[in-house]
Amino acid sequence: MDFSEGINIIVGNNESGKSTILEAINLCLSGIINGKYLRNELSQYLFNKKISDDYIDSLKTNQKIKPPEICIEVIFDKETYPNFMGTANLSKSEESGVVLKIEFNEEYQSEYKEYVESGESITTIPIEYYKVSWYSCSREAVTGRSIPIKPVLIDSTSPKYQNGSDIYISRIIKNYLDDKEKVNLSQAYRSMKQSFMEELSVVEINKKLNQSAGLTSKKLEISADLPTQNAWEKSLMTYIDEIPFHQIGKGEQCIVKTNLALSHGKTEEAHLVLIEEPESHLTHTRLNELLKNIQDLCDRKQLIITTHSSFVANKLLLKNLILLNDFRTTRLIELSNSTFEFFRRLPGYPTLRLLLTKKTILVEGDSDELIFQRAYMDTHRERLPIADGIDVISVILTFKRFLEIAKLIELHVAVITDNDGNFVKNIQEKYRDYEGLPNIKIFADNNNSLYTLEPQFVDANADNLEMLCEVFGISKGKYNSIEKITKYMETHKTEWALKVFESDKTFQYPAYIKSALDWCDDE
Amino acid sequence: MNNRIIVSAAGSGKTTFLVNQALKLKNESVLITTYTEANESEIKQKIYEIHGCIPSNITVMTWFSFLLKHGVRPYQDALETELSDKMIGFYLTNRKSGHRYGTVYWGESDFYKYFFNPQLKIYSDKVSKFILRINDETNNQVFKRIGLIFENIFIDEVQDLVGYDYDLLHHLFKLPISVLLVGDPRQVTYLTHPTSKYPKYRYGKLIEFIRDKINTKEIVCEVDTDTLKVSHRNNNKTCDYSSLLYPELPAIVACECCRDDLVAHQGLYMVKPSDLDVYLERFNPIQIRWNKNTPISKKTFAINMGKSKGLTFDRTLLYPTEKMINWIRDNSFKLKNETKAKFYVALTRARYSTAIVLNYKETEEFRGLQKYSPGGYNE
Repeated sequence: MDFSEGINIIVGNNESGKSTILEAINLCLSGIINGKYLRNELSQYLFNKKISDDYIDSLKTNQKIKPPEICIEVIFDKETYPNFMGTANLSKSEESGVVLKIEFNEEYQSEYKEYVESGESITTIPIEYYKVSWYSCSREAVTGRSIPIKPVLIDSTSPKYQNGSDIYISRIIKNYLDDKEKVNLSQAYRSMKQSFMEELSVVEINKKLNQSAGLTSKKLEISADLPTQNAWEKSLMTYIDEIPFHQIGKGEQCIVKTNLALSHGKTEEAHLVLIEEPESHLTHTRLNELLKNIQDLCDRKQLIITTHSSFVANKLLLKNLILLNDFRTTRLIELSNSTFEFFRRLPGYPTLRLLLTKKTILVEGDSDELIFQRAYMDTHRERLPIADGIDVISVILTFKRFLEIAKLIELHVAVITDNDGNFVKNIQEKYRDYEGLPNIKIFADNNNSLYTLEPQFVDANADNLEMLCEVFGISKGKYNSIEKITKYMETHKTEWALKVFESDKTFQYPAYIKSALDWCDDE
Repeated sequence: MNNRIIVSAAGSGKTTFLVNQALKLKNESVLITTYTEANESEIKQKIYEIHGCIPSNITVMTWFSFLLKHGVRPYQDALETELSDKMIGFYLTNRKSGHRYGTVYWGESDFYKYFFNPQLKIYSDKVSKFILRINDETNNQVFKRIGLIFENIFIDEVQDLVGYDYDLLHHLFKLPISVLLVGDPRQVTYLTHPTSKYPKYRYGKLIEFIRDKINTKEIVCEVDTDTLKVSHRNNNKTCDYSSLLYPELPAIVACECCRDDLVAHQGLYMVKPSDLDVYLERFNPIQIRWNKNTPISKKTFAINMGKSKGLTFDRTLLYPTEKMINWIRDNSFKLKNETKAKFYVALTRARYSTAIVLNYKETEEFRGLQKYSPGGYNE
């Protein structure tokens, strides 16, 4: 996957792997997963379920697969970090970057042989024979410290960070401090032990303990535990308004973490901020503030954000959008500026709806939407199109904006539209750019006299005008011609469509709408 | 491109000089490398002494570590793609590697047997050649990368480099970085590895190599025989006398700053074997011998000539070999490279006095040497 400088927004359906990408990047650059060091967190659940199942099944057959491995590569801009340059990467060409592999340790061949021979009873990947290899493209072992890009993963969606949240916030704080400040902090923490020991009451207690300690001739005393190198990191707690950090609201946590990560000013270190679904746990206004901060402060930092929210995507510019679908990524970077602007201002932010549904039907207005939905239900056992992954979006007269995106990233989109009395001009010529594209289809009728939905619908039901009057609740005697009924409908646009939608009568539909229904059923 | 080789005198404080040069470069990356681990740790020690810590812009590593890390591994698969995910180790050898049978050795066409031992450890005498091959194959990528990482490369004890190492230096000189080489061509007491490459330029003939084979209009490595010609260890007499061994190089000069004229018995002396016991008793010198087969007195500490490199003593007593005696008698006598280098090293160890054990006749006089007589005025 390619990421650009500044902001990157990953969108994709649930289970499309958005979070995995953020976690993989964070793991490869920090060695930390779920807030803990990978070496202590190795488990078979890190592996893709399908791959691990295939592997385990294969062990029971004659065609055994070799133990699966996980390989993550994070590639930097070439020549920015020449120390990391070399050919140790999947492409085997020169890159600058870091590779992290979770792979079978060949040293355990003989144990593995025993394991494989136990065939039937195997239910898991033999993770105890796995090792973690972490190296640069120049084939040198790396550590979180030696990697110049420090990632910060901000994820307030997942409960798995709750336990590790202490180390989590202290990492961000730690990154925020320079070396001198870090040393000062740890010194201050150490001197705490000293002053504890000098406290009069503690001295008294220790004296008493020593006198009564008949058990041993050695000195017995109480002291503050102050031990290993980085003890201070784990013992210090971050407070917000005197409330421990992990006790404050999740949304607030997300905002604090993001702001800390963004305002970090160490110039010698490149910063990468990974944010998982910033919209969760935040009110609309707080989210707005956060997004504004992200935009203002992302200068010289790279951000990768996953989201389900069109609002977030639009606010942070569609240009930065990366669409994840069926393990494929597509970018919107080539869209014209005016289209970006259009979607940015659009109320309701339908962009992601377009991006995330299997098929989209674009219609002009509410009545078109209602009639199409009704026609769909009639032919699909009362199911709404959305239930089959088909979204119907009413876009007034802005079809081409949507089609531009659809063309660029090969979305399946159909347009249902009126010919407005001139099929050649309004349909053929207008949509010439999209002719012959397999993923885009324009449905309109070439009969110029049936210029819009109302005459089309009356025409389709011309045999049954009385039923229409009944459905609309109008006088059969007064509205006794095609023209009169059409006229009525044109002045009661949404109203008649709603009545059709809710009616239990059977209707006929114009041919171009029926074709669109067929398109929905195409594979 | 700013390349310089400084010819240093024994005791000129070369390591201190190098370290100070590196510490001046606050905002540039510096690599300091040297052939031996002993000298690597001496350089680190020196940096700690002067600066308290090793600044993050300075990297100190041995020549072979540098070659493995930045020469071999980044593009190790350039010649054989299957090497891509293998771990290449290192095998230090002081004999010609890749032995096949009898006097026959594997050739380069047997790629793996030529460059590696069976555990895929690259032979130390072939590392440089391997890197040159990779570099050719990758269109100079190995050195381009090195040039991006280090803005300055300092090599201490550069006289330890031989053969294909010279070609590596040639590539380093072409980079848009500063290369500073420091060494004493007089102190090549052994060859760091056997090589058939550039036999003419072995034994400290790097300067001749630079003049003959490297320096052109485009690439220049400046030869500096001035900056480090002053010895802070030896007095004038010792400097003058040891300089006679290498008339083609500018003479070493004793510094003004470290001399202690109040100490008696300074300079170069001849001591008859019959006076040895008295002399040892009186001055307690360190005995310097050719090797452990040289008969010496058990009274004071003794060291081999080759091992004494880099060390400083107050007083020394030398056991010259026959050839060395020939040279003492006639300074135009041609010594072998190794003998000459060891003799030079042995002569330049003492701060105050260097005595040479020599059975001379009272009528004989030798240039630069005083006769020692017990109870005489020169005690």
